[in-house]
Amino acid sequence: MPTYTLNVNGQNRTVTVSDGGMPLLWVLRDLLNLTGTKYGCGIEVCGACTVLVDGQREHSCVFDVSSAVGKNVVTIEGLSANRSHPAQKAWIDNQVPQCGYCQPGMIMTVAGAMKAGHRGSEIQSEVKNLCVCGTYQRIKQAISSL
Amino acid sequence: MDTAINSSRRKFLVSSAGGFALGFVLPELLSISEADAAATGTQVNTWLNIGTDNSITLTVGASEMGQGSFSGLAQIMAEDLMVDFARIATVQGGPTLANPAPVGSAINTVGSSVTRRNYWPLRDAAASAREMLIQAAMARVGDAARANFSVTNGVIEHAPSGTTLTYGAVAAAAALLSAPVNAPLVPDNTFKAIGRPLRRVDIPAKVDGSAKYGIDVRLPGMVYAVIKHCPNFGGKLAATPVKPSNMIAVVPVSVAAGTGRGTETTSMVNAVAVVGSNTWDTWQAAKRLSVKWTLPPNASALNDAQFLADAQRLATNATPYVAGGANPPGTLYTVEASATDAKAALANSAKVVDATYTLPYVAHACMEVLSCTVDYVPGVKCDVYAPTQSARSVLALVVSLTGLKESQIKINTTYLGGGLGRKAETDFVSQAVQVAMAVKRPVQLFWPREEDFTRDQYRPMALIHAKVGLDVSGNVNAWTYRNVSPSILGQRGSVLGAKGDSQAYEASQDLPYAFGARLTEWVSHPSPIPVGFWRSVGASINTFGVESMIDELAAAARADPYDFRRRRITDPRWLAVLDAAAQLGNWSTPLPKGRARGIAIGTAFGSIVAQVVEISGSTSAIRINRVAVVIDCYLSVNPDSVDAQLVGGVVHGLNAALYGKQSFSQGAAQSRNFNRSRMIRPNEMPQVLTKIMPNPAVSDRSIAIGGVGELGVPTLAPALANAYFKLTGVRQRSLPFFPNATMGGL
Ligand code: FES
Ligand code: FES
Repeated sequence: MPTYTLNVNGQNRTVTVSDGGMPLLWVLRDLLNLTGTKYGCGIEVCGACTVLVDGQREHSCVFDVSSAVGKNVVTIEGLSANRSHPAQKAWIDNQVPQCGYCQPGMIMTVAGAMKAGHRGSEIQSEVKNLCVCGTYQRIKQAISSL
Repeated sequence: MDTAINSSRRKFLVSSAGGFALGFVLPELLSISEADAAATGTQVNTWLNIGTDNSITLTVGASEMGQGSFSGLAQIMAEDLMVDFARIATVQGGPTLANPAPVGSAINTVGSSVTRRNYWPLRDAAASAREMLIQAAMARVGDAARANFSVTNGVIEHAPSGTTLTYGAVAAAAALLSAPVNAPLVPDNTFKAIGRPLRRVDIPAKVDGSAKYGIDVRLPGMVYAVIKHCPNFGGKLAATPVKPSNMIAVVPVSVAAGTGRGTETTSMVNAVAVVGSNTWDTWQAAKRLSVKWTLPPNASALNDAQFLADAQRLATNATPYVAGGANPPGTLYTVEASATDAKAALANSAKVVDATYTLPYVAHACMEVLSCTVDYVPGVKCDVYAPTQSARSVLALVVSLTGLKESQIKINTTYLGGGLGRKAETDFVSQAVQVAMAVKRPVQLFWPREEDFTRDQYRPMALIHAKVGLDVSGNVNAWTYRNVSPSILGQRGSVLGAKGDSQAYEASQDLPYAFGARLTEWVSHPSPIPVGFWRSVGASINTFGVESMIDELAAAARADPYDFRRRRITDPRWLAVLDAAAQLGNWSTPLPKGRARGIAIGTAFGSIVAQVVEISGSTSAIRINRVAVVIDCYLSVNPDSVDAQLVGGVVHGLNAALYGKQSFSQGAAQSRNFNRSRMIRPNEMPQVLTKIMPNPAVSDRSIAIGGVGELGVPTLAPALANAYFKLTGVRQRSLPFFPNATMGGL
């Protein structure tokens, strides 16, 4: 049972797992009680599980926990204090979420693109996550202000 | 805390818990008069609380699955209570949750019903509460003239003296009064909340990860269970598998009474749940677990080709319904028949259009997979945490499974990561309760995506055969229409009447067009694949059949599809919606080569909806450029929420029309994850324009308010197929357009 120390949302967290291949998604959700990151497909098709690892967008459903050691992991819970990230504000201003389940992944995807210096329409073409509720039109509007 | 309940008037319960509390019944699919009949401790499902600290709380029994119904209800309440919408906190109630007294029967959230069914009862309740608070203020001030009092945002002012009293200040006194009859409502022309695009209350929690869905419930000492069903519908467990050494338990799970559909008969053991200490390890153990299943004797007949062959046979040859008879699957029901024989009238037609349309089974594919968390202590309690659309049915189920009393059970409804009808079913709840009873510790049951796709209760497949005649002047002189599809209500044990399954034939009768003779029939298809309520239900099937055929008739009559419809619709509301859609969709503006538009109109849940879809491309690849949607729902509470629902419905309709299909082989569903079930991605989103027909100047209680949540779906597929015909000359009579599409990774 290996033990790993990860930096999640600015804090060092130590977890013991059955093997280092456990995806980061389940470490976050089940071991660290950070349930904002969602499971949708487990096969890197939907994007609901997107987090930032050293500022890069990663699909945590296929990202081994052992690969996150020594890196900074940011989840939706750690994106900002008081929903102050520009993407979160734009999401509220445009009343984007319906059921909301896909939105942490959407917002983290956009946050990653912004971190890479991308803006507006550039981000629009990068966001490909699935939203079964079909909030794409408002997502586009929200991104256009970023 | 004084929770004495004063039920001086049956419509409301009044309590002085924490200030002032008014409990009442909001109906679901009941008629309003039924809901009016009684507010008893076990019936009340909604509470308005006004605290002595001026807090205002609305406790709702319905579920929030993204349709904005919590906000809609608070918005309605704000109007007649005369307070700012932002002051009302909404709280998820549920059966047997104490707040302040039991919220008895929660509402089952189905049929686009929450806002529309509750509009008038909620307004009446708010107005009664307001008048009770004002009466308390009148007593305090010592002036019996009601006209001397007015309210601004929850502050009561006595004009002659200038005295002001907040609702909180008189809440305790108001709770001792009896609720007035027919308290006056705020006139439509002074509305401050109803009809405004106010911001939804659930959105902030949905942008920071704090919204808790079913899958997010975490209880102290909780263990994790992962379901593994027999891959084939109708199959059963042959032998209990050996528990893997690193797991806590392997629990055989059976079909609980009332939760099984089609092949799933009560008590059959059709799954096992593997229990471990976290989702991932348990899921891996479940995948590796070797389980022996016994397939049903008819497994070889449970495949697409056989289902289609059965449907084709029944389209021409089915045994008519006999009143009081057995009427087994395969029975022909007459939904609607004119006095004139429509089949005979076809012989007099100048032109006959004969077409067969087919639709596949379609999965719900809610973004959040099914899950349910249960904390069970034998003989003591059972707390259930579920993303359910049916808290009321869940309560009854838990009583029957555990033998506990209702008072020992709590049903906590979480946010739903999409409901779409699937979470109105309770199979996953019954499984979680069974596991909790076996392991006797808090447990969360998780359905991996593959289980969610392969153990759904699908939109029914359908084969529609329509044969329609035009007379010499292009008028429809004979309309015959037969839909063959499995019965949703039949699989739920309903005894069908002479017209058959209302869920199957809805939107195929009472068409708005001036036709001559007509005969509309439905045949119950015998396929035992479980079917269920899928967003807009029968309307999503029949509107495709009807509006595709109307387009074929327009083509046969060499008429413009919009004009053809226009000339045959008489109802002014339908005409106005059709005209508005044509205008919003730029119908009369010519398009460049390689682009085309299609139009369709229909109805569901009491609303009228029309769409114009504009596409470009060719038979091999099309792009959806623009969709115009117009709805007449009589009265909209929040136009921004209506827009969101319609646009979302368009996406849902597109996913199903272009790609949606579940196939079966030996009773096993073939599409197991999103990679085999393509959906559109954000970069493929068309521009969607919506228009809501204006609210009435003075709303009339006798006119039904229509639904919104499911209305974007039914007209999409036919409008798309009609545009495709215009673009390519090819009539797409079989859905989906691209049955073999796959979806690559991100
Ligand atoms: S859950 Fe990771 S991409 Fe879908
Ligand atoms: S908001 Fe429901 S899936 Fe995106």
